[in-house]
Amino acid sequence: MTPESAAIRIVDLHKRFGDLVVLDGVSMDIPKGRTTTILGPSGTGKSVLLKHIVGLLRPDSGQVWVGDVDMAVASERQKLQVRKRFGMMFQGGALFEDLTAGENVSFPLRYHTRMTEAQRRERANEKLALVELPDVYDRPTSALSGGMRKRVALARAIVLEPEVVLFDEPNSGLDPLTSTTIDELIVRMKERLGITFVIITHDIVQAVAVSDQIGMLWKGHLVAYAETPAFVDSEVEIVRQFMARNLHR
Amino acid sequence: MEVLAQVGAFGQFVARFVRSSLTHPLPVRRTMEEAYRIGVRSLPILLIISTFVGTNLAVQGYNAFLPLGGQSMVGMFVALAGVREMAPIMVASMVAAKAGTEMASQIAVMRIQEQIDALQVMAIDPYWYLVTPRLLGILLVLPALTMISIFVLMAAALGVSVAQLGLSSHEFLVNASNAARPIDLFFCTIKASVFAVVICLVSCFYGFRSGAGATGVGRATNLAVVVSAVVCAVLNYVLSEWLFG
Repeated sequence: MTPESAAIRIVDLHKRFGDLVVLDGVSMDIPKGRTTTILGPSGTGKSVLLKHIVGLLRPDSGQVWVGDVDMAVASERQKLQVRKRFGMMFQGGALFEDLTAGENVSFPLRYHTRMTEAQRRERANEKLALVELPDVYDRPTSALSGGMRKRVALARAIVLEPEVVLFDEPNSGLDPLTSTTIDELIVRMKERLGITFVIITHDIVQAVAVSDQIGMLWKGHLVAYAETPAFVDSEVEIVRQFMARNLHR
Repeated sequence: MEVLAQVGAFGQFVARFVRSSLTHPLPVRRTMEEAYRIGVRSLPILLIISTFVGTNLAVQGYNAFLPLGGQSMVGMFVALAGVREMAPIMVASMVAAKAGTEMASQIAVMRIQEQIDALQVMAIDPYWYLVTPRLLGILLVLPALTMISIFVLMAAALGVSVAQLGLSSHEFLVNASNAARPIDLFFCTIKASVFAVVICLVSCFYGFRSGAGATGVGRATNLAVVVSAVVCAVLNYVLSEWLFG
């Protein structure tokens, strides 16, 4: 992959918290316009890696290139500019409880566009319809189910029509049927919007269902990273164990 | 060592907040919302407590001066103790307990539910979005609440002095106005403004640094009110020495 075709380029990333080494020399290129999943059991540094990509954490060493900006050393002003090109769906949704579902979706529009209230509402409703929640604009956030919260969070993540959307454990806490709905939604979104998706999950079924390529983090190392069919046939022992265990479940 | 680390972290927090506030537009609508929320919600309890602090100051002043035959000095005592000292610190303590804990717990919950991370990823500066309107709101409201408290406290003290202690209202008011000058009211607004900054920044600081779970939120809220109250009490002494000394 050439540097130009990579949406995000991670180079020799190291991060430790006290004595705990979380990322130990992770390098990978995340291609534009494709869905990349980073897989791994809990506590292997997946979320930490994601937070480095958006500049919420600063690495001990290494680089995280988004375009021509290294998020590892970028100023707050540079990070703010880069983040305008990102959308992110957080594990618990991270919705603002004092706003309605639609106000949550239109929230970034208020601060990054000159849209009128009516235009913001129209755009938010359009995105809510995309995630198959057409009539929830005025519904209080507290009245949404877990799956609906995730979908509202996804609508918020894409409302500014970003270049990259990041997903932190999109299926955690959801029942299998709702998880399947979310997976289908991710696939449809990618086909329709053609943007770069980066997903972190420990759900191998989801990873295989939605990804163009999959990487696996294990004890701070990227032990495998390949196109989905090649990843599924990986000879790496820990990958085989992880897949067997999860698929068995 | 731990205290020094906290002071250092607080300094970084304040520097970050100042930088964010100076590089963003004034959040007028959210400031008004915060001012309304802090002011209106604190007002009922403020009126009740100010009333009874005023009555008690009058009664205790009367008891203290009676053996000396100086019970007519109650107005002076209430004006000095109530206006200069009690009202500013009392209002600050109440607002720290009510609005300060609310700020700390709201921000702490936002921290643990990743809403602050979400703000950052949405390219919205959380220091500007969360701290600036709260600080401006409390700065608008706390001096006004202090003035209201002074008025209510003095009125209650006058009422008790006349109706219960049998003192002359004219004498009370003359003694009070001789002791507390009009400029003292201005000095009280300075005190209130300093307390407003302390309460807001300390509460938001602990909210931002909250640990995980209910324990983390509880600890952040508790630290916010304890540290705010202690710092305000110490500053009250320093400011009194400087302004009224």
